[in-house]
Amino acid sequence: MTKSAISPNTTALRDETMLRHVRQLGSARDGLSEWRLQRLTAIALIPLGLYFVASVLWLATSDRITAAAWLSSPVTALLIMLFVLAGLAHALVGLRSVLLDYVHTRSRLVASGLFIRAAVVLLAGASVLAILKLFLGH
Amino acid sequence: MERPLSPFMFPIWYRFQITSALSILHRLTGIALAVGSILLVWWLITVAAGGELFAATHAFLASPIGIVLLFLWSVAFFYHLCNGIRHLAWDAGYGFEIRTATRSGYAVIVMTALLTVLAWLYVFFA
Repeated sequence: MTKSAISPNTTALRDETMLRHVRQLGSARDGLSEWRLQRLTAIALIPLGLYFVASVLWLATSDRITAAAWLSSPVTALLIMLFVLAGLAHALVGLRSVLLDYVHTRSRLVASGLFIRAAVVLLAGASVLAILKLFLGH
Repeated sequence: MERPLSPFMFPIWYRFQITSALSILHRLTGIALAVGSILLVWWLITVAAGGELFAATHAFLASPIGIVLLFLWSVAFFYHLCNGIRHLAWDAGYGFEIRTATRSGYAVIVMTALLTVLAWLYVFFA
C-alpha cells in the first residue's frame, strides 16, 4: 500500500509529542488515553478473538470435550478471561464514542455513559467469577 | 466550551461510497458485538452453573433462532476484525489514498465472506 502524505512517524500511536498538540486543540479530557486503549485492545483482540472463534468452532463440533472441561484448563481460562475483558474495554470506548457523536444533551450523555460503564463492570465481574469458578473448581 | 459535533452525513448529504458505507458498518457491527457480549457472558455463566441452565442455553443456541443469531454474530465479528485491521493500518499512517482505501474496502468484504463461509462449513461438515 502507498504511504500517505502524513508521515507514519507523526501519528499519536508512535509519537508521544502528539499529546501536546491534542491537549492544546482537543477536548482536553480523556480523549487520547481512550484512543490508545481502543487501539491497544484492538491489537490484543486480533489473536484473542481468533483463538476464541477457533475454540468455539472446535467445541461445537467435538463430542468428547465439554465447555466446562475446556474452561477449567489454566491456559484457556486465562485467554478467555483476557478476551472478554479486552473485548468489554474495547466496547466501552467504542460505545462511548458513539454516544459522544449522537447524544447532544449533557445530562443524557452523562447518564448513558454511566449506564454503559455499569453494564460493562457487571458483565466483566460476572465473566471473571464464572471462569474462576470453573478453573478453581476443577 | 461549545465544540462542533459530528453530524450524520451519510447517506443524506453524500452519494453512496464504499468507504463511508463500510465506516458506518464498522460502528453498527461494533454495537452489535457489544450487545452480543451479553450473550457471551451469559453463556460463560451457564457453563459455570451447569445443569438445567446450561442445557436450556445450549438448546436455545442450537435452535433455528440461535443459529441465526450466531450466524449474524459471526458476520459482525469477522467484518469488525477485518475492517479493524484496516483501521489499524490507517492509524499507523498507511493506506490513505482513495484508490487504496477503496481496494482495501473490497478486500474486507471478500475476507469477511470467506471467513464466515469457512467457519460455517466447518461447523456443518467437519
